[in-house]
Amino acid sequence: MTEKRVSRYEDLWPIRRSGRPGTPIRDEGISMRSCQDDHRRIVITGIGVVCSAGRTAEQFWKTLTRTASGTRPGGAADFSGTIDDFGDLPADKRRAIRKSLKVMNRETQMGVAAGQQALADARILDVCDSERVGVCFGADNVSIQPDDFAGGIRSCLTDDRQFDSTRWGSDGLPEVAPLWLLKCLPNMPTCHLAIINDLRGPGNTITQRDVSANMAIAEAARTIRCGAADAVLVGATGTTLTAFSRLRARLEGDIDDEGICRPFDRKRTGPAPGEGAGALVLEDRDGAVRRGARIYGEIAGAAAASAVDRNRLSGCRKAAARALQTTLRQARLSPTDVGHVHAHGLGTPDSDLAESQAIGQVFGDAAAGLPIVAAKSHLANAASGAGILELIASLLAVQHGVLFPVLNCDEPDPECGVDPVTDRETAAGDSFLNVNLFGRGLASCVAVRAFAA
Amino acid sequence: MKRRVVVTGLGCVTPIGSTVDDLASGLYAGRVGVGRLSLFDADRFPVRIAAEVRGWDLSAVGEDPRAWQRCPRQTQFAIGAGVQAARQADTGDGRIRRERFGIYLGCGEPFEDFQMFTRTVQESLTADGCSDAQFTEHALKIFDPDAEREMEPDMPAIHLSERLHAEGPVGNCISACVSATQAIGEAARLIQFDEADVMLCGGAHSTIHPFGVTGFQRLSALSQRNDDPQAAVRPFDIDRDGFVIGEGAAMLVIEELQHALNRGADILGEITGYGSAQDAWRVTDSHPQGRGTAAAMRRALADSGLNPDDIGYINAHGTGTVVNDKVETHAIRQVFGAQAYRIPVSSTKSMLGHATTACGAIEAVVCLISLNSGVIPPTVNHDNPDPECDLDYVPHTAREWACRHMLTDNIGFGGQNAALVISRYDEASSGRVSLSRAA
Repeated sequence: MTEKRVSRYEDLWPIRRSGRPGTPIRDEGISMRSCQDDHRRIVITGIGVVCSAGRTAEQFWKTLTRTASGTRPGGAADFSGTIDDFGDLPADKRRAIRKSLKVMNRETQMGVAAGQQALADARILDVCDSERVGVCFGADNVSIQPDDFAGGIRSCLTDDRQFDSTRWGSDGLPEVAPLWLLKCLPNMPTCHLAIINDLRGPGNTITQRDVSANMAIAEAARTIRCGAADAVLVGATGTTLTAFSRLRARLEGDIDDEGICRPFDRKRTGPAPGEGAGALVLEDRDGAVRRGARIYGEIAGAAAASAVDRNRLSGCRKAAARALQTTLRQARLSPTDVGHVHAHGLGTPDSDLAESQAIGQVFGDAAAGLPIVAAKSHLANAASGAGILELIASLLAVQHGVLFPVLNCDEPDPECGVDPVTDRETAAGDSFLNVNLFGRGLASCVAVRAFAA
Repeated sequence: MKRRVVVTGLGCVTPIGSTVDDLASGLYAGRVGVGRLSLFDADRFPVRIAAEVRGWDLSAVGEDPRAWQRCPRQTQFAIGAGVQAARQADTGDGRIRRERFGIYLGCGEPFEDFQMFTRTVQESLTADGCSDAQFTEHALKIFDPDAEREMEPDMPAIHLSERLHAEGPVGNCISACVSATQAIGEAARLIQFDEADVMLCGGAHSTIHPFGVTGFQRLSALSQRNDDPQAAVRPFDIDRDGFVIGEGAAMLVIEELQHALNRGADILGEITGYGSAQDAWRVTDSHPQGRGTAAAMRRALADSGLNPDDIGYINAHGTGTVVNDKVETHAIRQVFGAQAYRIPVSSTKSMLGHATTACGAIEAVVCLISLNSGVIPPTVNHDNPDPECDLDYVPHTAREWACRHMLTDNIGFGGQNAALVISRYDEASSGRVSLSRAA
């Protein structure tokens, strides 16, 4: 090896042109080995829920099946963000969480609470190798909370109470809490859950707004399939109730402050703002069976697609249709095999129309009589948190054999042409598709199948 | 069946060069991008230095800058780097199926317009804080809705998806300073799992903003060396006192090997390994033994099937904070053993500053430049080695150094760690022969 000073750099950057059209290759080189275990199957072994419809899976299911149309859900009022919201915990974890609560914002607290529930439900912590358990969350851009700056701004007010921006650096900055930046990073649910539970596997956080939840599930499944982990705690948390989340959701037309969520109804105007978080434990099937875990279902396929277009309606339709098709193909499901579809069902004029047209396109004749549910009518708009709560709602329906109704769909929109479930007797079937959409032309979809050993 | 993932396009916008060629010459010349902070009036801030992208706008890639002026800086950087990479790879090639072309970025959170935000908070002050409801109402009246819609971390990915007609999976991740590294690794997995043929991946970020300085200063992470900006970032040096906020973007087009060969694309390198790991220690600081950092490097190596002594160069995270550099050095020693002393390690943040969520993408591009040129970049300002940091940090001057496999690692707040192994593409290779040893 030679080491020498480089004085001329002009000649040092010739890109090697090694690719030639059609060159046959012998694949003996170094390559990522990630696919070595892609026969691995992925099962769900734990569930956690924090939302306006309940703080446990049991409460959630009860609310889904008993609530009548006309209710206007919103915040997770029962979730106060105190240590008692985190379930039964051993003393050391209780202490760790209590200490961290002040550096978690509300979305992080909800995400962590849902994650703790899922881990406890899966009973995985005592039996797993912590190096082999990862965390993957979907989250909104948590952005900044105006309240975190109130003190700093107050200290820069002039005598006539005007804000003097030139003083921020000297007078405002020191008033901001030392850990403020860490409080508002979207990856904090992932980090806190890893720290509290000593999960040292891979970790990531998807911030792709309403399609994040299904994308996090897809990524977690790949992480297990490629052998990088044996289990992944996957979740999502979101809100449209905080200052910026509400502002942006208003600007995107994704909430109606005065509204009520009426998926696929002729008079839909958009959902009320809401919040919530959900979590699942995903595991390699063989490991789960070996340890005798309770298995809720199997992730049979997951895909995302995009078609960003100035015409949002056609973009969303195209993206949704492609995500559904790819997911069905991965899951080796034909349209007639699908028990029900959990729609994004945002309850805005365009989103529901695009989604139902995509369902019609993919399912063809099988669309007639295909049960469609949309838990947003129970939850309002929990933004990136919604997608996983909806998947959990369907998973619980498969366990109970029966679907919950879509609320407030009093006059199904004939233009949509789908069949929203409005009774309490429709069979859930043993497989379903969960759809996430984002109005800019993004879609993600997950197929879940009841588990058969 | 293994699907190999190769690199067919690169692009970047950085404080020392906003094309890949300019970045390369800047790195080899040891050019430092740190100077007096100019993007806002920082006179009364405790930190008044930054590594800014200066004298660049989107006309450099043939875009009308006015069309993007409502977008935050990071989005503009992302478009600049993305368009460069897409052009080099010719992603408009009709042989690329649109639904098999995806995007995975690690762009961070943009910060609100300072004047508008503070005015709105001021108008929403209550006796003991600030009312969210009032804030939203005031904001709806005075914020520019078009600019506000752009303030989401996924907007660069969404714009690039539209601009480049990428209709496959489009996503953005945030894992603090490892975001872009993970975006590249996860994008490679999407190709391996046959969910895409081509991915644009990388990241963009700028936290050079009153709140960026506020946040990092309150975490005691920043260098206070205002009087000597060029010497402020001193990775692995005994006198290091923190990082300097940087900004920028870097993008890679990665592609399944056979797909790239079939359409005759230039192959610039290969992504051969990826590892992600969590410290599971504290949100504020790294595990003292760097257990997550070491695990991420080990996992990337295992993923590539290589041994530690196959690695010829390490591009370190090397922020220049007291803790980072010590912990990272310790982690490298753990993973590479005695070999650690024979592998050159450099921190290009000494020249580029810290581009936060985007840094991993820039550093991946640095590795690809180095693999192709046979020259590795220096760690500038490494004047007085810290006895606890005892590796070969390539001080001051670039070095001719041919090797086949490089590793780049990143470490983020919250205990997130990721590493990539990037290799020279060699079609005739039978693998496992390290040129760095053979040379």
